[in-house]
Amino acid sequence: MVGHWRFNEPNLQRQMKKILLELLLSVLLIAAVWFGLSRVDWMKLFDIEQATQNTEEKVGDLFWKLLKSSETEISSDSIVAPVDSMLTRICTANSINRKKVKLHLLRKDEINAFALPNNHLVIYSGLIAACENEAELYGVIGHELAHMEKNHVMNKLIKEVGLSVLISMSTGNGNAEVIKETLKHLSSTAYDRSLETEADLTAADYLINAGINPEPFANFLYRLADETKNLPNQIYWISTHPESKERAEKIIEQIKGKDFPKADLKDSLRFEVLKESIK
Amino acid sequence: MITTSDFHYQPSEHELEKASNSYLMSLIAIMGGLPLPIINLIATFVFYLGNRKGTYFVRWHCIQALFSQLFLLPFNSVGFWWTISIIFTPETITSNYIAYMITIFIFNLIEFIGTIYTAVVTRKGQHIEWWVIGGLTNLICKDK
Repeated sequence: MVGHWRFNEPNLQRQMKKILLELLLSVLLIAAVWFGLSRVDWMKLFDIEQATQNTEEKVGDLFWKLLKSSETEISSDSIVAPVDSMLTRICTANSINRKKVKLHLLRKDEINAFALPNNHLVIYSGLIAACENEAELYGVIGHELAHMEKNHVMNKLIKEVGLSVLISMSTGNGNAEVIKETLKHLSSTAYDRSLETEADLTAADYLINAGINPEPFANFLYRLADETKNLPNQIYWISTHPESKERAEKIIEQIKGKDFPKADLKDSLRFEVLKESIK
Repeated sequence: MITTSDFHYQPSEHELEKASNSYLMSLIAIMGGLPLPIINLIATFVFYLGNRKGTYFVRWHCIQALFSQLFLLPFNSVGFWWTISIIFTPETITSNYIAYMITIFIFNLIEFIGTIYTAVVTRKGQHIEWWVIGGLTNLICKDK
């Protein structure tokens, strides 16, 4: 009776082989089903990308409208044109569609710049005034562009606010207070450290591709990190971007050995005009 | 995938009920613990501990039920942590992720139906050996 269930040595080996073969076949079957199913474009089938895109467009426009109604937008050509041309230079050098980026300059003393959903790039006059040279402003623009290109803006919102809240905002059912708070959150809090570092390093690459030395951008982070101690409430862009010194060091590390114009970019006449006009 | 045969002795009514319950245990755990795959395994393991000194038939089926939970555990765990990484890290939903979740759903469904079938048939006194798991149980569970 017992012998029927006990295995002698060759039987045991045969049984082990059978089990291993069956196990292998089962795993292969699961892998084959996964492989087969992954050939289907589920994102398109479920309209996930389109739905996200629509939500992003509506939420981005909603945030911008709200911001525009409470701040003063700068429309002067002597200020907008130089920044616009800087943005165009980075976009062109990095094959980024310039037309999709909506540049907005706001008159405010806060040293701040941020990206909103649907590629709205907002820069405060305080930040332009704080830049000691053109390359620093190029760095900030590159950093915010990187957040847009890496889809950090929507990812941050989805994780922190939730997709359902964003969809209700985009369909006009959002609570006004929640929309206001979300916009405040987006403009005054940092992304997590890995995303900030990714944006910094991508920005450094963007600058190199555009023939701009990224070192002034690293210096800008370093300098403002020091100044934050004296003016903590003014320097949003740094106080919301923690570990600025570490980040500056990472940029320097990243650009080591890379080919780019080592001398500081000479400020264009337009930048001088810009600095004058912004005062 | 499933082989039905007669056990080498006729189990008593009490044994049939306990053996069948070992599968029901994993089913109840599946319903209660879907988001956390480890819960099914723990529940079945606790049931096994309670019956490890039971008769050969009961032990055999407790172990098969335990292994049936173990088999999909790695796949379910990957699915679970993949989902967590999408929620809490910059990872995004991709077609590969959706395909993986559908795959593990299909295999969990097969396992679920197989478990119900095994619980019913075991209660009727038939001995069922699962693909892979039955052979493994034969290797580990010995008649005293």
